[in-house]
Amino acid sequence: MALYRREESVPLPPSNAEAYNTVCQYCTVGCGYKVYVWPDGLAGGLKAGDNAFGVDFSSPQPPIVGFSYTESMHSTIRKRDGGTYHVAIVPAHDSPINPMGNHSSRGAVNAKTTWSDSRPTQARLHYPLLRVGTEFNAIPWDAAIELQARVIKGVADKYGADELCSKIYDHGGGGGGMENTYGTGRLLFTGLQMKHVGIHNRPGYSSETWGTRDRGVHELNYCYDDARLADTIMLWGSNAYETATVFFVAHMMPNLQGATKDEKKAHYANGEAIAPARMVIVDPRISATVNVARETGAKVLHLRPNLGTDYMLMNAVARAVWEKKYYNKDFLNQHTDMTSFEDYKKKSLELHMPYKDFMARAQKISGVPVAQIEQAAAWIAQPKPGGHWRRSLILYEKGVIWNYRQYDAVAAIAQIGALTFNIGRPGTGTGRVGGHQEGYARPDYPGPKPPPDVDKYVQDGRGKTFWLTGCNPYLAAQNNAYFRKRVGERAQALTDYLSAQKQGDGEPVSMEHLAARILEGLDKTNGLFVTVQNIYMVESTRDAHLILPAAQWGEAENISLNCGDRLMRLDDRFMDPPGDAKPDWEIHGLVGQKLEALYKADGKADIAKRFAGMDWKHGADVVRSIQDDLYAGMNTKVPASRASTLDPESFKGVDYGYLRKVGQKGIQTPVRIDPNTGELVGTKRLYSTFYFMTKDGKFSWYGTRPWDDHASATVVAGYLKSDRTKYPFWFTMGRSQPLWQSSYHMRHLPEKTETTPLPFVQINPADVKKLGVSDGDIVMIHNDQGNETFAVYETDAVPAGTVFALMYHWLGTSNSLTSPYTDPMSTNPWYKGTRVGIRKLSGGFESVLATTSFRPTNNFA
Amino acid sequence: MKVSRRTFIRTSAVAGAVATPMLATADMVMTDGKPWPSVKVGNVNQLSAGMPVSFQYPDATSPAWLLKLAEPAYQGAGSSGDIVAFSGICTHMGCPVAFKDGRFVCPCHLSMFDPARNGVPYQGLASDYLPQIELRIDSAGDIHAERMSGLIWGRTSDAA
Repeated sequence: MALYRREESVPLPPSNAEAYNTVCQYCTVGCGYKVYVWPDGLAGGLKAGDNAFGVDFSSPQPPIVGFSYTESMHSTIRKRDGGTYHVAIVPAHDSPINPMGNHSSRGAVNAKTTWSDSRPTQARLHYPLLRVGTEFNAIPWDAAIELQARVIKGVADKYGADELCSKIYDHGGGGGGMENTYGTGRLLFTGLQMKHVGIHNRPGYSSETWGTRDRGVHELNYCYDDARLADTIMLWGSNAYETATVFFVAHMMPNLQGATKDEKKAHYANGEAIAPARMVIVDPRISATVNVARETGAKVLHLRPNLGTDYMLMNAVARAVWEKKYYNKDFLNQHTDMTSFEDYKKKSLELHMPYKDFMARAQKISGVPVAQIEQAAAWIAQPKPGGHWRRSLILYEKGVIWNYRQYDAVAAIAQIGALTFNIGRPGTGTGRVGGHQEGYARPDYPGPKPPPDVDKYVQDGRGKTFWLTGCNPYLAAQNNAYFRKRVGERAQALTDYLSAQKQGDGEPVSMEHLAARILEGLDKTNGLFVTVQNIYMVESTRDAHLILPAAQWGEAENISLNCGDRLMRLDDRFMDPPGDAKPDWEIHGLVGQKLEALYKADGKADIAKRFAGMDWKHGADVVRSIQDDLYAGMNTKVPASRASTLDPESFKGVDYGYLRKVGQKGIQTPVRIDPNTGELVGTKRLYSTFYFMTKDGKFSWYGTRPWDDHASATVVAGYLKSDRTKYPFWFTMGRSQPLWQSSYHMRHLPEKTETTPLPFVQINPADVKKLGVSDGDIVMIHNDQGNETFAVYETDAVPAGTVFALMYHWLGTSNSLTSPYTDPMSTNPWYKGTRVGIRKLSGGFESVLATTSFRPTNNFA
Repeated sequence: MKVSRRTFIRTSAVAGAVATPMLATADMVMTDGKPWPSVKVGNVNQLSAGMPVSFQYPDATSPAWLLKLAEPAYQGAGSSGDIVAFSGICTHMGCPVAFKDGRFVCPCHLSMFDPARNGVPYQGLASDYLPQIELRIDSAGDIHAERMSGLIWGRTSDAA
């Protein structure tokens, strides 16, 4: 009777079940989880002593303080010994991140995403696959590795490393972790010296946050305690309730409700006023976060800028701070670079322009009333009674990062943080909320800054190989319709060449011969050899020639750290990967070893040397390589006051043994050695002595580029200049609560697919009326870049004239509409703004209308 | 409905062995092997849209809500298909959900469930749909709760 198969009971793990520590595989927050594995046929008892949870289930658990063990937290798996095992993945009650076993709707399904031969995750890739004509054949690892190595070597030797291209993830969580970012980077950067490498969600090897790093402030500088201690929390371009859910409900909400006042007492100065936090949210939408914050009873200020104007709005907030003298002159003089400050005053604050004129222009550009801009400035910076500096935690995420002139937007918000003295003190911080967790340890990228746009490079017919690892650019690349077409065409050109033999000629049999024929094809056509390394047959495998099956979270150890605390923990291995799938570090390591052997056989010892040392057998070996390669020359025996000078994600001296010992408590990076005790110690908060990551330790200012009405984004500017009736709507995009990233897992879980069966677009009631559509209707959204279909979702979340689409869905990607613009300062796209037209195609699907909720997700009253 | 530990271990081991718990659902019995209780929870004439009726199901420690909605519902009973019943406990962390404006809202972390769509958690932290209770309406208009699909939060079995 239910929409998907429900369970009316879940078995308890017996006391002797295998028990593991892990961290959720999904978002930036990194909630702690425990994993229990036990053989089928056994079960624990209800009494605390009779089950591995140590919890008495003989009567129902009490709300909130009780133990959550729900249907979706249990599943069964099969191990390579052929046996079926139960797996329970439940929130860890000893985790500082998710107190009392709190968890999100994503983390709750961790158990359901484990591989099983009898559930939808059966779809996981098991074996390397080779394209032969229009089909894929399984081939052994030796053959797959040899082919990949020979093609790469052939291209590198004949055309140079610039013709080798790749897109690859750079993160912890999911398939991520330090082992994988390092293992893969060692091959691509140290071994192959490739500069045409793009990161999973963007076209180049850029930082999303050079705007703040160039100021001397790493984007992960605060800790979750700061959200509990702040007078004001600012969320700029972050829908945290839906995307960093447990951070929001377990750390921000208690502060909004006044429940953290005892913690504040312990940290605040004598006589410093204590009040529930206020919240400033900057978001064009009335997001769920806006209304959840309001539901808490807190004071909430909501600014709704026009798309692509955020850096101008930020500079207006800063100008108001300057005008009202809310800044700390001593801090500015002592800890910031007063030479570049002049440039900031001139170009960003534009002090030559009278305040009123400046603010009137800011209002005109951003659409945000001057009074709200001034109020935001007061809420984040106005000193408290008695002259105490206000404590504001200023957080931003993709609304800022994927914006027009994103470098300037990130710089502008970092500069608000410095101007308002909101970095380094308890209750302050100016940084990212984060998307996924981090886990970055890689040899240096060998390319320039800003880096080349790899997507464009490949689209323009350059490059011979394209290795897509742990990412899905057929959904995630910008200007996606064009990207798919060009990559598909070029891959097909090679496929056609390989298949263009006469009847009776047969196909090459050995990998050596096949590689030679591929190289011949790459020479004679404009073909592209596409390798996809992934855990599922994702969209990007469509045109691939070689598919390499990767292990995921729980199938190999991973070290990652969350964004808000830089809290590093170990994700234990608790099960086998499906089939012969291997961790990414091992796959890249095997290709490295093969290249080493091939170059040695060629007598090229100097090149072979670059691939030495990749014969890792275990994740712990990779961690040792990280220590030897990246941290050997690093002196981490420094006092706390100099912790901020260390690489913010570094962990010299930490290994699996240490992480197993500290468990969920983890350790916050950067890790240093206490000069007095010789012990490893973490870093709670960066810049606590205001010593920033610049040559002289002073915050470095930046004068912004002048406003040009979006002119640099030529495609969007063209839409704005031309007849606006063609593309009458602003189009933006983002995430929704139940789905994670490209839904590589979630698309296999009925709990999630029934919730969001189709990609959706949010449309304001006034526009719904104009378009003559209603909830669930299928519309075609189009512009000169491409088109996609979406189900209509009527809501007041979006303003009239602006629509918001789910970023990715397995039945369509909003990126088909995005423009090819990237910020020349960073090569980062403006995903979140373009213009579109909307055409109604039909009424909705009956099955969808009958089972899908179209209730407003932002109304909690 | 209390089961001894020994019974529980045996039955849950059975449920476990059924990595195919299809048996459990197909048999229309609770996981302890007993039939689902049939409990009279109201009469169609006493129901009005937006006025929820509280009851307990399948036992006295499990609060539930009987509702008449303003629209036809997935698996809704009655001539208009708009009568439904659900567990009253949020599937996230066990707080009692409140029925407001046609949907359930959890006061603790604001998860929201749509009773017209099988109790889908369309917003918030809950992952599992709110367990829906199967209803039978007899010729006198009496509404009987007959069976539940999904696990009530805080238990390892609805039969506990």
